[in-house]
Amino acid sequence: MASALRCSEVDVKFGSVHALNDVSVDYEEGRIHALLGQNGAGKSTMARVMSGVLAPEAGEVEIFGRAVAPGQPSAVQAAGLDIVHQRFSLPPTFQVAEALEFASARKMGGALFSGRAISRAWGMKLSEAGLRVDPQARLSTLPVEKVQAIEILRALSNDARILILDEPTALLSPSAIEELFGQLNGLRDRGVTLIVILHKLKEVMALADTVSILREGRLVLPPTPSNDLSEEKISELMVGEVAETGSPAPAGSVGARQAICRFDGVGSPGLGSEPGLDSVSFELAEGEILGIAGIEGNGQRSLAELFAGLRVPTSGRIHLGDADVTTSDVAARRAMGLRAVPFDRMVEGASLTLPLWENINSWAASAHRYGRWPIVSIASMRKHTRAALDRFGVVYDTPSQVGGTLSGGNLQRLILARELEGSVTALLAAQPTRGLDFAATNFVWSELIRVRDGGAGVVMISSDLDELFGICDRILVLRGGAVAGEFKPPFSAATVGAAMVGAGA
Amino acid sequence: MSIAIRLLGIGLPVLLAVALSLVLFSATGHDVHEVVLGVTEGAITGFGSFWQTLRWTMPLLLIALGFLFCLRAGEFNIGGQGQLLMGGLGCVAVALLMPGPAILVVPVAVLVGMVFGVAWSGLAGYLKVRFGADEVIVTLMLNFIAVLFVSWVTTGPLKDPAVRGETASTPTVDSALRLSGGDGMSIRLLTIMALAALVAWLVAERSRTGLQLRYAGEAMEAAHWQGMKVDRLKLTAYLLAGAFAGLAGALEVLGPNGRLVTGATPTIGFTAIVVTIVGLSRVPGIIFAALLFGGLQAAILFLPIVSDLPSSGLKILEGLIALLVTAQLILRRGRS
Repeated sequence: MASALRCSEVDVKFGSVHALNDVSVDYEEGRIHALLGQNGAGKSTMARVMSGVLAPEAGEVEIFGRAVAPGQPSAVQAAGLDIVHQRFSLPPTFQVAEALEFASARKMGGALFSGRAISRAWGMKLSEAGLRVDPQARLSTLPVEKVQAIEILRALSNDARILILDEPTALLSPSAIEELFGQLNGLRDRGVTLIVILHKLKEVMALADTVSILREGRLVLPPTPSNDLSEEKISELMVGEVAETGSPAPAGSVGARQAICRFDGVGSPGLGSEPGLDSVSFELAEGEILGIAGIEGNGQRSLAELFAGLRVPTSGRIHLGDADVTTSDVAARRAMGLRAVPFDRMVEGASLTLPLWENINSWAASAHRYGRWPIVSIASMRKHTRAALDRFGVVYDTPSQVGGTLSGGNLQRLILARELEGSVTALLAAQPTRGLDFAATNFVWSELIRVRDGGAGVVMISSDLDELFGICDRILVLRGGAVAGEFKPPFSAATVGAAMVGAGA
Repeated sequence: MSIAIRLLGIGLPVLLAVALSLVLFSATGHDVHEVVLGVTEGAITGFGSFWQTLRWTMPLLLIALGFLFCLRAGEFNIGGQGQLLMGGLGCVAVALLMPGPAILVVPVAVLVGMVFGVAWSGLAGYLKVRFGADEVIVTLMLNFIAVLFVSWVTTGPLKDPAVRGETASTPTVDSALRLSGGDGMSIRLLTIMALAALVAWLVAERSRTGLQLRYAGEAMEAAHWQGMKVDRLKLTAYLLAGAFAGLAGALEVLGPNGRLVTGATPTIGFTAIVVTIVGLSRVPGIIFAALLFGGLQAAILFLPIVSDLPSSGLKILEGLIALLVTAQLILRRGRS
């Protein structure tokens, strides 16, 4: 069959990160191609290159055998390729017909048009596509699967013959997913080529004709018929070869130790597109690093926020030591020695616009480290800041410089310096090394190990199996907001990876 | 960024605004020399002029200091005008109705004025924090309610029977309660202003609450993760803003005005916002900016006496300063 979309030797770098490394791929016409990979593997970058939004540093994109100029979405659209993003592009406050008219290349009305005319015209288009939607309904009032179907219609009305869908199932209920797959199969039968970015193996197996896999910016599996692949093989290719080791200084048996934190059947509502927790139970013992593995968006954020005290669970209890802290807030838990390194160091971890001394001290001021008098000494805060930053090897000029002047690694060191002060009994580290270079990563790991060896319990959330296998004493896998497996060293990438993607489930 | 560059960043727009308005004045056929002399005389050199400048600096400075706390907390509380009026109302009610010696009545009247300001601002803060109401709209609307409420009080329950004509006001308070003479300024008022500025500086720059306020305003997510009670901090900012604006209202009543007048100083609460921004959101800067705008206000009232330039000419200058300083801040934020 003819080639619909061919990328050759595509290279994309973001700073020191090699997002796409010499990727060449050829997608055949009239089939459904699944593109898989972990978070950060380069799937979305690939989609942006293919749709012309991002110009690669090197490499070419050909659509139906004709090269298209890189970085020109309109040229790519004219060549017959369109993309449906995970975040919808149509303006939610618009009526359906208005939004389609606004976003479509082929207008139903002229420069001035009557609302009735375009809603009639688009209404016909909608019913042709088998969509039962009132063209005058506001998009924001429609269920998410309808909006998605309208997004697809928007792309097709631009005469798209190749359609890229970026994680189209992320927001959908199981029955809506089935409906979507039916729609996509119908499009394929009409000759449309579909490239679908997916996470879940079951969905891949149900939908795709071929599977291709990206890992760390490289194409590790060119489009291969899905019938020739097993779920185990796919999950292995996604997570890669991981050295199967225990932790560098393995802790003793967990059972003999005191529990520092206990989740008993904790449940919570979902957060945006992420599921909440579904009756999660586990114990964190003193002197252990408990890894939380899982593909991103499977409840990790809910777990972190419940652990730190930012939200209250709807069911179950949370204990810290002997105390029930289910409804205690962040400040109360911090006073009990619980600390957290949040996911996003630039938004949740520190302020980029305030000086370093405030980033180190603002919460400490409330903890009465500087006495009980409401007026505090800035000089002693600055002195303390210097000591703390020096102890954690932060490279800086003065405590007055703002947080935004620090590199990612230095910012993470600052956050650790703040969080590890005083007596720490439990530490949450959420994606603590994401985006950090080698030296900073090693520093973070050694600090986590130091905290553990000091007798505290550490929960580390990560989507990087190398990291988890390297320093964790025990690993829980989160999938769909529930614990999908517990693993002890020696860890195996195959079994942990299978639990993450739900292979064989 | 060094202080020198920041000062230059404010100084240049101010100079540019002055230059632009002078060009405008001369283009419309006014004698620029005369205008400059008039402004200088009205604000600084004339007999009692600087006293007048200080008289107008007082409400601007106090409201601007209060607004600073809300700005730090990331809240754009533009209700200073309403809080000022309510403060005046609370104060005048006590001053007119409470019997007793001045040494007792004056502190109570000032305190009640502050409490009224706190309540008015706290209402907006509560609506914002509890229900997520847009604070700009709520505080703006509360301004209108305050204006209408005060105009009802001054034409109804506390109406001065002696006053006829357009201006409605309460009766004048007993002269023993006044903190200044008819010229509107006194050492006592200056002392209160200085104390207020000192307190504002201590709370904003040197206190636990001030630090956390700023942290919550600049980095709300990070503040949550560090266990700060962000909602409570924001509400505190509203209460502080209300206390300062209420104090301003009380001092207007016991000082220059001697009574609560409907329609007096209808824009002072908004000019105070500009004062905070031109003052770079720092207490010393706000003091200078309040003097600058206080001087302009004094000149606005004086200028028609010596020049044919209508006082709205200087309002244009005020507006240009606000516009150019804000534009400069936005430009810089966009670049960094």
